[in-house]
Order: sequence, then structure tokens, then C-alpha cells
Amino acid sequence: MKELVEYIVKSLVDKPEAVEIRETQGEMATIIEVRTAPEDAGKVIGREGRIANSIRAIVKAASAKQQKRVTVEILTEDREAK
Amino acid sequence: MKSIIMKGKSVDEAVEAALAVLGVDKNKVNVNVITEGKPAVMGIIGGEEAEVEVVEQGSAAEEANQSLQNILDKMGLLAIAEVAGEVEGEVKLAVKGEDMGRIIGKDGAMLKSLEIVVGAIIRRSTGVMTRVHIDAGGYMDKREKALQRLAAEVAEEVERTGVEKAMPYMEPADRRIIHLFLQDNPKIKSYSAGEGKERRLVIAPK
Repeated sequence: MKELVEYIVKSLVDKPEAVEIRETQGEMATIIEVRTAPEDAGKVIGREGRIANSIRAIVKAASAKQQKRVTVEILTEDREAK
Repeated sequence: MKSIIMKGKSVDEAVEAALAVLGVDKNKVNVNVITEGKPAVMGIIGGEEAEVEVVEQGSAAEEANQSLQNILDKMGLLAIAEVAGEVEGEVKLAVKGEDMGRIIGKDGAMLKSLEIVVGAIIRRSTGVMTRVHIDAGGYMDKREKALQRLAAEVAEEVERTGVEKAMPYMEPADRRIIHLFLQDNPKIKSYSAGEGKERRLVIAPK
């Protein structure tokens, strides 16, 4: 799932080299944290979160066969999840 | 889309060399710098070569198709994306294969998510606003025909009674299909009224 998020996020930003993706496997859920260059965060989130929500929907569909829930969090500069 | 990785004494030199190999203009490629390199002392000692990846830009449709295919592959779905049509500012892609239900999603929601993401990707890479339509297993095509049938029925009723009629709530993309379908009807007009989730398409006599 990390690869999927990484591909999408790196394709959306101007600075793919600054993208960091961290996957944390819990027992019940997997959390994928996305960090970008500060000026790129908006490109991943989109207007009213449209792009971020679409990425979440794609990840959800891709992980439908797994038992675990996968959440995608996009972290901005101040580390506040959006 | 062709791409090549090239080394050179500087980023500029590496890019020049890559362009010569690809045989394309600089404004037709995207350049990713892998390493900036360092100049050698007095031109001989030490130094590190610069390395760049130069990717030839395809048309918006080709780029959109490649992005969609990459996403479907990484989702683990058995599906093939192909370009179904391209006009100015608009790209149509069609997906074939297994797992159609998951690609379509509930009421086409997955197709919409894919359209948003692929649209954003090619807007960044081409710098041009392009509307991306994605269909899977003919779903959107059937949906469009169903909406047009519904609109034709209501238009007929409005024409007969002379009283305008509001349609149930529809997504903007669905309203667009009906507006386009009715725009050439000489006796009927359509408009949208209301805001947000209250917005309704109204079919009225001209």
C-alpha cells in the first residue's frame, strides 16, 4: 500500500525527492503518514481536501481484500494531520 | 513515453547529452535531477558527475493513461487502461479487465476518485487544465444513456404540460450530461438552481 501512496504523492508534487512516506503496521490498522515539502502539501490535499480524500478512497479500495483498515494521513509543516 | 538517465560534468551537460540521444527539444521533456555533481578541482582532481533523468513528455492523454495504469497496477487490480478519446482540454480513458466492480465503486465513486487524482497528476506534469473522464466496463456510457433517457422523458412531459420540473439531486457531472443533452432541444431549456446539496437541475419550456 505504501508503494501506491508513494507513486501518487510523488506524481502530484514539484519536489518528489522531499516526499517521505512512513507506514506503521498496527494489529487492527495500518497508518500511512505522508510528508512533503511545505509548498507541496496543498497539491496533495487539494481544494476542500478533494485530492486527499480521493487518495484515501483509492487506498481503501486497494486494501479491501485485507482485514486491516488503512488510514492515510497527510502531515503539514506543523505536523498537524489534515 | 521515452526516458533516459544520463551523466555529465554538470546538470546542463547531462541534460544536453540526453536531449541529443532522445532527439527532442528541451521544452518537450521533464528533467529530474538525481545528483547535482561537483566540479573537479582544476578540472582533474576529484569531482562527481551529475546525473539526470530526462523524460520525454507524451500527449496529455498518453500521460493520463500511463498514470492510471500505474495506479491500477499498484492497487493490485487486473485491468488495462487505454485512451478512448482526446479532444482539446478533455481526455477519455477506458478500463477493461477483471475487478470492474471495485474500479467503478458505489455509484461510480471510485471512477470519480481516479479522475480527480489522474487529473491532478497530468495538470502538474503538463501545466494545462485537462478534464479527465474514466470509464470501466462501459459503466459511464450506460449511466450517460440512462440519464439521457430520463431527461428525454421529463422534457417530453414539460413540453406537454408547459410546466417546468426540477430533477432530484444529482452530482455536477450528471447535471452536465443532461445540460449538454438538452441544449439542442428547440422547445426545452435547462438550468440549475440552489446551492450545494440543494442544487437542482430544472427542465423548463423555452
